[in-house]
Amino acid sequence: MNKRWIVVWIGYGVLLGLLLTIPLFTDEAYVFHILCLIGINIIFACSLNTILNIGELNLAHAAFMGIGAYASTLLVMRFSFSFWLAMPLAMIAAAIISLAIGFLTLRFKGAYFLLFTFLFAELVRILLSNFWIGLFGGIPGLTNIPRPSIQIPWLFHMEFNSNKDFYYLILVMVVITVFVMRRMDQSRLGMVFRAISQSETLTESIGISSMKFKILGCAIGCLFAGLAGSLYAHFVRIITPADFSIHAVLTPIAYVVVGGMGSVFGPVIGTSFLMILSHFFLREFGLYELLLYGVIIVLIIRFMPEGLISLPRVIAPWFGKLSTRERE
Amino acid sequence: METTLLLQGGLNGVMLGLNYGLIALGLSLIFGIMGIVNFAHGEMYMLGGYVAYYLVGRFRINFLATMIAGVAIVGLLGALIEKILFRPLTTRPKEALTSLIAAVGLAWVLQMLAVICFGELDRNVPSAFKGIIHMGGVVITKERLAAIIIALVLVSVLTLFLMKTRIGMAIRAVAQDKEAAALQGIQVSRINSLAFGIGCALAGAAGVLMAPIFCVSPFLGGEVILKAFLVVILGGMGSIPGAMLGGLVLGFIESFGSLFFTVPTVNAITFVLIIIILIVRPQGLLGHE
Repeated sequence: MNKRWIVVWIGYGVLLGLLLTIPLFTDEAYVFHILCLIGINIIFACSLNTILNIGELNLAHAAFMGIGAYASTLLVMRFSFSFWLAMPLAMIAAAIISLAIGFLTLRFKGAYFLLFTFLFAELVRILLSNFWIGLFGGIPGLTNIPRPSIQIPWLFHMEFNSNKDFYYLILVMVVITVFVMRRMDQSRLGMVFRAISQSETLTESIGISSMKFKILGCAIGCLFAGLAGSLYAHFVRIITPADFSIHAVLTPIAYVVVGGMGSVFGPVIGTSFLMILSHFFLREFGLYELLLYGVIIVLIIRFMPEGLISLPRVIAPWFGKLSTRERE
Repeated sequence: METTLLLQGGLNGVMLGLNYGLIALGLSLIFGIMGIVNFAHGEMYMLGGYVAYYLVGRFRINFLATMIAGVAIVGLLGALIEKILFRPLTTRPKEALTSLIAAVGLAWVLQMLAVICFGELDRNVPSAFKGIIHMGGVVITKERLAAIIIALVLVSVLTLFLMKTRIGMAIRAVAQDKEAAALQGIQVSRINSLAFGIGCALAGAAGVLMAPIFCVSPFLGGEVILKAFLVVILGGMGSIPGAMLGGLVLGFIESFGSLFFTVPTVNAITFVLIIIILIVRPQGLLGHE
């Protein structure tokens, strides 16, 4: 058991080493652009997974990412906050709004949360597109969002202007997110979430207030959605209401489901697999790109419903058969 | 002048509302029976529109025959999709979510297939019923009147089917309790296929009806699914009268709202109104707990 633990940590180390040394192999801005987007989507998919873990689907999750993005942008551009202060504030803003929604909706059973979040997602999009245009910028959104920089006087100065520099920032944030998710998954809190998603009645029967923990789970998820939004805004430098509409949450749901719901690394694998596939391989198919993408998702769900993370378990019996045949 | 304007708005509201109701009815039926949120439902509406474009527009076939063909084609396609894609998913853990994503993937596939097969341009479908009718100052085109009548007929037929026939009773039984229905000798998997087919057929019918009034394009589905969702939430999941009432409410809000306010304001008012209704009455206007 102890040895396995060491192997796993070596595995993490090698993976992290590879990710850190990517800049040695390539210099193309496009590659780093996609890598950064993959990182942001991994954070977003992980946060979505947190909410799926309590057995609910948040169709407004992209809207919470939008709240994070707009909050962070407005704090930096209109109120000249530093990015490093605006980012946590944006996360908190998303979490606080999700608390209010959680209080209103998680009291009810069934598809209620799903329906309510659907309405909320559309309401946010409509409000951002058509009202207070002076502040939110209307349908064209906000542009020229500054990239962050670190400045410690006389000692250190770094601007995240190029995609390559931003890649390191995103990498750090992804590692932090995955670390937090992993710790949470193994803690008592993670256990309570899993228990709730399996049977709410049973969980309540042993004295755990499932509503309280569901609201908490929802808020934690939205906290990281806010982080993803803030990073997205300062990376892409243009945000529009359409980026955070109901349709924007469907692709990340596919990432989570294709990777494997409920596990910590499922969303990471799913996001990386599908985004690399669509940005580096399917590009050449032009009109057929989206078609192939849809077909691949449908096929994976149809034949591997527990996601890519179950691949070793699906393949293992084949190798088992092979080895027994050899023995014979 | 004022009253004719209101009447005109009311008639348009009825037409819009009945068709939203038709689409939402299918969505609600599928959700009520299988627990699947069919995100590809808007694409079924879009396919109905293309059936109308090809049969009425290209081959000059009678509108009622086109209607029947549209219902049959989209309905069979729905039943087939249920059998191939969704049925294997229902026995697996977290089926609601996996089937939701399968439906999203399916919606993309259908949309892109439509772009490849039919082209991405908006298509106009010639009207089958030409001319207008004056009724005391209110003007209505014959095609809109036909849309209202046909939608009413479809809803009545469906209601009679569900309430009076044995198969309809079986469908309602499965919606109430799958296991108890199976114990009574009802083949749940067949009922699922049938219900999915009927649900899709309703969307297809609405697509055929609306094709001459609005345009047909491969991207219709995305807009339509949002409207249908609203109606289902408003009326109550799984309730037939709820879907129709919800459709009419949304139709009236849109039709009267656009007389007095700008479109974004109407949209915002609609959403705030529905959120308030949902907070006060979580099960929707006519839904059951």
